[in-house]
Amino acid sequence: MFNRRSLLAGATALGGASLLPSLAYAKGIVTAATYPGSWEEAYRTVVAPALKKVHDIDLELQPLYAVDQIAKVRAARGAPPFDAFVLDPGPRITGIEGGLFEKFDAKKIGNASKLPTGMIDEWGICVGAQVVGIGYNPKKLPKPTSWKDLLSDPWVSRLGITGFQTTFGTVSLIEIAKAFGGSETNVEPAFVELKKVLPKIAAVGNPAAMAGLLQQGQCDITYTNIQTVAILKSRGVDIEFVKPDSGAVAFFTTMHIAKGATDVENAYKYFDTVVSKAVGDALVQPPHNFIPVNREVVLPSSLPMTNLDEMSTYVRHDWSKINPLRAAWIEKFNKEMAK
Amino acid sequence: MKKLAEWQLALPLTLAFASIFLAPLLMLVGVSFFNDDKITEPGFGQWAKFLGDPFSYKVIFDTMMLGLKTVCATILIGYPLALVYLDASPRLQKVLIFVIVMPLLLSVVVRTFAWIVVLGREGVVNTVLMQLGVISEPLRLLQTELGLVISLTQIEMPLMLLPLISVMSRLDPNLRDASAALGASRWRTLFTVIVPLSMPGLVAGCLLVFASSTTAFISQTVIGGVRLIYLPLLIWQQSLVVFNWPFAAVVSITLLISVLTVVSALSWLGRRSGGYVHG
Repeated sequence: MFNRRSLLAGATALGGASLLPSLAYAKGIVTAATYPGSWEEAYRTVVAPALKKVHDIDLELQPLYAVDQIAKVRAARGAPPFDAFVLDPGPRITGIEGGLFEKFDAKKIGNASKLPTGMIDEWGICVGAQVVGIGYNPKKLPKPTSWKDLLSDPWVSRLGITGFQTTFGTVSLIEIAKAFGGSETNVEPAFVELKKVLPKIAAVGNPAAMAGLLQQGQCDITYTNIQTVAILKSRGVDIEFVKPDSGAVAFFTTMHIAKGATDVENAYKYFDTVVSKAVGDALVQPPHNFIPVNREVVLPSSLPMTNLDEMSTYVRHDWSKINPLRAAWIEKFNKEMAK
Repeated sequence: MKKLAEWQLALPLTLAFASIFLAPLLMLVGVSFFNDDKITEPGFGQWAKFLGDPFSYKVIFDTMMLGLKTVCATILIGYPLALVYLDASPRLQKVLIFVIVMPLLLSVVVRTFAWIVVLGREGVVNTVLMQLGVISEPLRLLQTELGLVISLTQIEMPLMLLPLISVMSRLDPNLRDASAALGASRWRTLFTVIVPLSMPGLVAGCLLVFASSTTAFISQTVIGGVRLIYLPLLIWQQSLVVFNWPFAAVVSITLLISVLTVVSALSWLGRRSGGYVHG
């Protein structure tokens, strides 16, 4: 007769056995952090199947913003919860300074020759570019031409701004400061000018809420990256991207191996897959709209550049200078903008 | 077999609490007494920085006021609803409970973003008011304290209503009849019989709503925007953007102490009202 114990034992054995084929079949696994939202979706639907197909490696994604990745790995002290970081320039510098990355071996990237020069360094690899400029609703506002326009009529009363907590927010505020006589390390003019028009500004929002605020017409113009504009457009929002006359801002998203990572070899295969032509071709298309780094990927006409080399003319920033100042800027933004 | 003493039975839970709650809390206190963000130089620098800045007091005051305003709004709307529940038929009571609990079944993120659609410039409220001709220009409801309190009132309402209804359901209906038979008006019965007897539920609801609304980071930042600065936003900025964990620990402890102070005051009021009812 079966009793409860033997039934449970049988069920456990059956359950365990069902896991065996997959355990025996999977060649390996890599755990990678990815940004929540569009990145997570793109990596789940495009990169994970490609990695499985080419290298027979399972990709386990952990959706985390760049700052959260740094915080988690710092807190884990040598036992990182994932093998690969994906970071913007600011957190990348924080990671390097904090000793959170393993040294990077460019020889392990088979697609290295297809990337423009300087895309791989001793700490990691560039996997995508982001271009920041102005997003506006053409049905409600005339086309702006410069960063200065944002703070003047008719745009200012429909303007939505964010602070220094994101990369795109920080670089945009630096560019506004530069338009009024400031520099990469002096954003004071931006504060002075923003303070003058603060009562007119339509929204001072959390970066995560900006897409919703644009969709709901709370604001009709903001600084943002081209990918966000493409995603909103694909959802039927009236929005266009404008490259300011002083130039759009470009920065690269990089990937790194976490110090103490368990699946280092698989992480290299993951990076190689991410920068491959096949993955780039898929990610450049809607609804993903990524800007690739592989020269062989054909760029769609919706992007503001015809080839990747053109990006060298875009405005770039030195984050090793920006990072030490950012805490004070955030604090000042809080105080100046507070009601 | 020797019988286990009560304290021995409570030991596993006590140990679990000590390891997963008390230990991190002590670490938080410890981290706050470091001067630098690398946590290498012990000192009172971060406390001095926070407590020496008048802006900090403004943020503490605004956070506490947000909690109190939300508590007042949930009482104003929730208490009459609890009275309606008390007098409703069992069938209607079931419907009301479903309506009250429903917001809890939705993620706070969904509820918060839904309020953007409701309160936005081209949102439901503004569209209706403009179509009715009540206003000619859209009202600014999003990114204002009023809009935030409105949305928090709906988001936190179940936390007020559930303890309130639970206490009020146990009230002896004969007390109201006795009060009426002795000549008291309905209002007098409400204020001298029902309100004092429902005080334990009301206080419990106030505690929950206050603690939850003062720490509602998502709602505060998404609906309130970043011009309305509350303590949770400061904690997030310092811990996850600036990586100044000692300063974030200082702000966290301040939030904890501020909330505990108000919660203790409310509990004390609750105990006093209990004495009044029974004494």
